Amino acid sequence: MIMIFVRKTTIIDSIKYLLFLGVIITIITLSSANMNYNWQWYRVPGYIISRSADGALIPGRLLTGLALTVKISVISLVLAFFIGMITALFRLSSSFTAKLVARIYLELIRNTPLLIQLFVIYFVISPVFNINPFISAVLALSLFEGAYASEIIRGGITAIPKGQWESAYSLGLNTIDTYRFIVLPQTLKQVLPPLTGQAVSLIKDSALVSTIAIFDLTMAGQSIISETFLTFEIWFTVALIYLVMTVSISAFVHRLEKRSRYDQ
Amino acid sequence: MTSKPIISITDLNKTFPGSNKDLEVIAVKDVTVDIYQGEVVVVIGPSGAGKSTLLRCLNGLEDFDSGSIIIDNIPLNHHHKNRLEIRKEVGMVFQSFNLFPHMTVRENISLAVRRVRKKSLAECETITVDLLEKVGITDKIDSYPSQLSGGQQQRVAIARSLAMNPKVMLFDEATSALDPVMISEVLDVMKNLAKDGMTMVVVTHEMGFAREAGSRILFMDNGEIVEDRKVEDFFLDPNEDRSKAFLSKVI
Ligand SMILES: Nc1ncnc2c1ncn2[C@@H]1O[C@H](COP(=O)(O)OP(=O)(O)O)[C@@H](O)[C@H]1O
Ligand SMILES: [Mg+2]
Repeated sequence: MIMIFVRKTTIIDSIKYLLFLGVIITIITLSSANMNYNWQWYRVPGYIISRSADGALIPGRLLTGLALTVKISVISLVLAFFIGMITALFRLSSSFTAKLVARIYLELIRNTPLLIQLFVIYFVISPVFNINPFISAVLALSLFEGAYASEIIRGGITAIPKGQWESAYSLGLNTIDTYRFIVLPQTLKQVLPPLTGQAVSLIKDSALVSTIAIFDLTMAGQSIISETFLTFEIWFTVALIYLVMTVSISAFVHRLEKRSRYDQ
Repeated sequence: MTSKPIISITDLNKTFPGSNKDLEVIAVKDVTVDIYQGEVVVVIGPSGAGKSTLLRCLNGLEDFDSGSIIIDNIPLNHHHKNRLEIRKEVGMVFQSFNLFPHMTVRENISLAVRRVRKKSLAECETITVDLLEKVGITDKIDSYPSQLSGGQQQRVAIARSLAMNPKVMLFDEATSALDPVMISEVLDVMKNLAKDGMTMVVVTHEMGFAREAGSRILFMDNGEIVEDRKVEDFFLDPNEDRSKAFLSKVI
């Protein structure tokens, strides 16, 4: 019964998806026809992979940009996770100073636009400390996403039943060990899905670093378009690449989650 | 009793802030009691009497307002080190088991032995296997708590506390969340523990256990210890009207 039910909804979903796709394609075709747009898809692959003069395969500009986007995203993701974790622990600690520092950071980050944060770090802070644009970008992204990650992690920690703390304490475990062995492992399992959502946001938000002269995927697309006027082809390709990245992260984490389920 | 008590509680008071600011809830009031090595002290009394709060004060899960608690010659005070030291020597079993759901039975039992007692892996394994035998669960060492029945979970929780080799064990309604069949398997473990000479403070409604394994009864009401008697005396002839009224309800 359930199998049939699942299949039925899958079919309906697929039909909806195809219809949606059809509408989008129609709109694009119509608008490009109106504009007398001259599609030149055949030129796109060259910007992904091309051949050098001696015939060797070399990455095209889009691929080089993608590599940088991935590099920035991965480093920021790791940093954002640790910033989020530390901020969450600060907010939950009994130290007044730690709580205050965490609160100020969170309020600052969550009440200003990421673009402005990026500019402040790039134009104001980076000249003072002499840091390069790449580090500015990573700093801005990880500080921004870290604030949101911290709220997710804090929510996860406070959702752990009181009895878990109490039995850990009554066994003589100290606070650090209780966090390390009891609370955080359970928290991380709980917050993995929302954190994945945050990771997806980070990848999308990383497009903003193109504004501070970093040749990421978005910047690569922009520069190619300004030379070739392949506006539609390049933007679609760039969007598709982002989509593939974010969807595969979600799918990967989803599978991970399914495999490591201890309570079912 | 000539020896020194292992638990010495003097003039203990504990209040909780109520819903209204000036309406405090008095949970424990002027409690003074000494508990000696090997005693099985059964704490009874109506719901809300302060039994759990008293027990939770004993291992520092709850801070008290005034009075003193000395366990195994260590005063339970604002020194965090003392608190940790006392928790090593005082095991606690909860009504809701509170096993760690992400760990196997083996990991549940050996974690504190390893981290707090700093025993080797081999020692941890020996301790774990021995205790699981003692509580009658030998084939579940690699199971997760969710794969065990309530009674099995509570016996693992007892084994987990015992693994720390504590001097005192506290039980807060350890069988109240269980079906009748499982109640007796947990009570049997507790009775054996009493027979082995463990010092125990047991909050329970199981009068059978009190009669069979208890040495003393503390009857609490409104935060106070109303009666502190030998088990035989208490059941034969409760002094207080409140105890009589309570006994007539639970027996
Ligand atoms: N965390 C708490 N916050 C506020 N009041 C509490 C808390 N814990 C217990 N109390 C109150 O303290 C009194 C004693 O509770 P408790 O020790 O749990 O009683 P018992 O275990 O005998 O049923 C009750 O009036 C209860 O409502
Ligand atoms: Mg209680």
